[in-house]
Amino acid sequence: MSRTTFGIAGLSLGLMAAFCAPANAQLLTHKDLSVATATTIAMTAIETCKTNGYDVSAHVLGREGQIVVAIRNPAAGFGTFENSMKKAYTARTTRAPSGDFAKAVAGNPNAAQFFLTNFVAAQGALPIKVGNDTIGAIGISGAPGGDKDEACAKAGIDKVAAQLR
Amino acid sequence: MNKIVMIAGAALVAVAAGSADAQLIAHKDLSVTTAVTIAQTAIQTCKGQGYNVSAHVLGRSGEVLVAMRGDDTGPHTLENSFKKAWTARAQRAPSVNFANAVKMNPTAGAIHLSNMVPAQGGLPIMVGDDAIGAVGVSGAPGGDKDEACAKSGLDKVAADLK
Repeated sequence: MSRTTFGIAGLSLGLMAAFCAPANAQLLTHKDLSVATATTIAMTAIETCKTNGYDVSAHVLGREGQIVVAIRNPAAGFGTFENSMKKAYTARTTRAPSGDFAKAVAGNPNAAQFFLTNFVAAQGALPIKVGNDTIGAIGISGAPGGDKDEACAKAGIDKVAAQLR
Repeated sequence: MNKIVMIAGAALVAVAAGSADAQLIAHKDLSVTTAVTIAQTAIQTCKGQGYNVSAHVLGRSGEVLVAMRGDDTGPHTLENSFKKAWTARAQRAPSVNFANAVKMNPTAGAIHLSNMVPAQGGLPIMVGDDAIGAVGVSGAPGGDKDEACAKSGLDKVAADLK
């Protein structure tokens, strides 16, 4: 008797789970960067820095940290290509400017994130957001100072602000 | 006497040749704007034809100058566009040439090198006889269609390639 009761209770729990499942099982709706928007962001950043007197490389990453646009500036140092990717990755995964991460780990050389791939404690990258949703990031490297890199990254995002919704 | 003249002559040639080799090599290389224009034009041309593609533009040493993941492309297309471009740069010839060569000889030595792919869609970027880079496109249903888009990218900047 009690076994049957438990059995029925179990069954109804199972049914509840089955009914709950469809809501969770709905597909996610995501907004993502187009290659055109991503290229505009990257090139605006590079051109802004050029106007400011700095040659920089740029990466625009998507939602999963994947490369949407990568641009090596042959006029910039060759380390800038990798660094712009890592800054962007850091901004994407922390959903915050990479400069925030740099500040957070200042004086903490064994911060856990340093044991992960592609984190870098350097200013110059910004998350690309639609409302509260981080859909990617832009990273810049090559200017003499992360603040100058970040200013160019911001110029890139500002340029497409109307599209980011 | 004759021998002396010959030896002296040979020495002069050697000295002249030596100093020529020691001079720095003058290279023309792609600028970031030219490289971006090539990639963007290729992607837009394919888009206009109904194909979503990814593109790579590589420089003289096969280094990535521009990587662009096209909208709604398969995840392999970015890698494949890189490899097609690499193949075209390495052989200073359209990647389809390598594809054809491998058809005839499936054990061609170059097939065992990294990044070589026997697939159409990569073109070298030439300044005269000098391969200064390559463009690779992947995603269209057929390498010939990829290559046509790659070519449109090169045509767009033809005036700069000198």
